[in-house]
Amino acid sequence: MDSFKPKIVGLFCNWCSYRGADLAGTSRLKYAPNVKIIRVMCSGRVDERLVLKAFALGADGVLVCGCHPGECHYHKGNLNARRRITGLKPFVEAIGIGKERLRLEWISASEGPKVAETVNSFTQTIKQLGPSAFNRRRNEH
Amino acid sequence: MKGDVYIASSTDKEVLEKAECGGVVTSLLKFALESKRADAVLAVKARDGNRYDGTPVLISQPDKVIETAGTLHCTSPNIARYVKEYTDGASDLKIAVVVKPCDAKAIIELAKRTQVKMDNLILIGLNCTGTLPSVKAKKMMKEVFGIDPTDVVAEDIDDDRLVITLADGTQKEKTLMELEEQEYGRRENCRRCETNIPTMADIACGKWGTSDKGTTFVEACTEKGANFIDAAISAGCISIRQPNPEAVQLRRKKDDAAIQSAKQWQERDFSSLKQMSSDERFEYWFGQFERCIKCYGCRDACPICYCKDCNLEADRGLVPPGEVPPDIMFPMVRITHVMDSCVNCGQCQDVCAMELPLSRLIFMLNRDLYDIFKYEPGVDIGQLPPLRTVTEQELSLSGVDVAF
Ligand code: SF4
Ligand code: SF4
Ligand code: SF4
Ligand code: FES
Repeated sequence: MDSFKPKIVGLFCNWCSYRGADLAGTSRLKYAPNVKIIRVMCSGRVDERLVLKAFALGADGVLVCGCHPGECHYHKGNLNARRRITGLKPFVEAIGIGKERLRLEWISASEGPKVAETVNSFTQTIKQLGPSAFNRRRNEH
Repeated sequence: MKGDVYIASSTDKEVLEKAECGGVVTSLLKFALESKRADAVLAVKARDGNRYDGTPVLISQPDKVIETAGTLHCTSPNIARYVKEYTDGASDLKIAVVVKPCDAKAIIELAKRTQVKMDNLILIGLNCTGTLPSVKAKKMMKEVFGIDPTDVVAEDIDDDRLVITLADGTQKEKTLMELEEQEYGRRENCRRCETNIPTMADIACGKWGTSDKGTTFVEACTEKGANFIDAAISAGCISIRQPNPEAVQLRRKKDDAAIQSAKQWQERDFSSLKQMSSDERFEYWFGQFERCIKCYGCRDACPICYCKDCNLEADRGLVPPGEVPPDIMFPMVRITHVMDSCVNCGQCQDVCAMELPLSRLIFMLNRDLYDIFKYEPGVDIGQLPPLRTVTEQELSLSGVDVAF
């Protein structure tokens, strides 16, 4: 299992966490290289289809990051994201993907270190969980 | 007034003869047409006298209403989708609709999505503790009851028993438990359903709380329903008296018992799924999804799936065309789009060509979401779907989990 390199899809809001990730980069903070970051204009853009498609295409984990409540550029986009992600967890749990593989975090543009921490801890969680059922199935067939 | 309860019966001789339990529903429907409070009534009728093939009928002539008298238990026509598809959501037709609790809930969910014009509807609800799947019911009549299914002239479910009446007047009965242990009995969503008295309709009618045959216990659940009943009483279509406290108590007791039984079924159906390991669940559900032939039946039957331009269509770029089984996005999107508002009507599972346990999964998810969002589908028209609706107050919740 040591050779397992988790594939994580990060859906990061352009105005906060994506800039936070930039900041982490320019500050030369080291963090796990497993996250492929996809920039969205707001975490409110993230719906069930993006998350589930990521899993179906082989993500071992999906990390959604948005602005803190009250700071969304579109006022309540992040609150929509919060409801959707909260609501998706029972589904991913019920069909055997596992709710720990889906995480939402609030990270502002100035929170470079939080990007590093979040990515590291999520990568750690996914490492412990191992490859997602989709990927295991794919490898078996 | 809203909340008023009555013991009622029809004053119409012809109706009294044909109807069960006092003919109140039939008389209210007739009254709706005669008083021009409705342009049409929507009720269910046995197609060519076949009790296992109930078909929704839209009637505008008062003297035809009697054809729908009596209750069919071995059929579950899709009333909500009928209203949406065939009457254009009652956009320019006033309709009195006879509804089971799940029909009422489905119509209310459609109204929230602006697919049904609630102002044009009056929902006349029937108490319900379940209906039977028609094909299995016929088989059950033969194999368990040892009778010809076409000999049945009435079915009834009460006190956890199914009682059937034959043409020659003889009655046979078995407990639901006994039938359901043998995989007969009610549809599985009905076993799990906790809504027995349709208080989300305008009027709720049923025999719970009545002691003498030939009467119906009626509750006015909305102001609209109360006005309607008052008018029907003034017009002399139904006669009423006040139920005594024992009758009210009895009705509540029967409801409570049915709710308990539903909760036990939920526990039983859901725990078998939840007890599986994560891997077992994945194998189980993806094994099920691989049997899907992409007939779109579940989507077309579901009252929550109302979209004109559905994501699952081939031209939407999400599910590649021409593949069976469809891409895994097909079941995953269908389910996640409706799980917050599923009314457990069972229509998706009834129509599924491959008999996937769809409503078992979707309603289980719905109950999980209820625990989080406290959203009860189909009850309050002002309460909007929880995965699509945020409130100002939530701005002050700082966490990443919704917790109310
Ligand atoms: S998902 Fe199935 S049980 Fe739920 S509302 Fe839709 S058709 Fe009814
Ligand atoms: S699957 Fe989704 S997009 Fe399609 S009809 Fe149902 S709710 Fe609408
Ligand atoms: S009804 Fe059943 S077979 Fe048809 S699309 Fe839905 S899940 Fe697939
Ligand atoms: S703009 Fe960042 S979450 Fe909406």
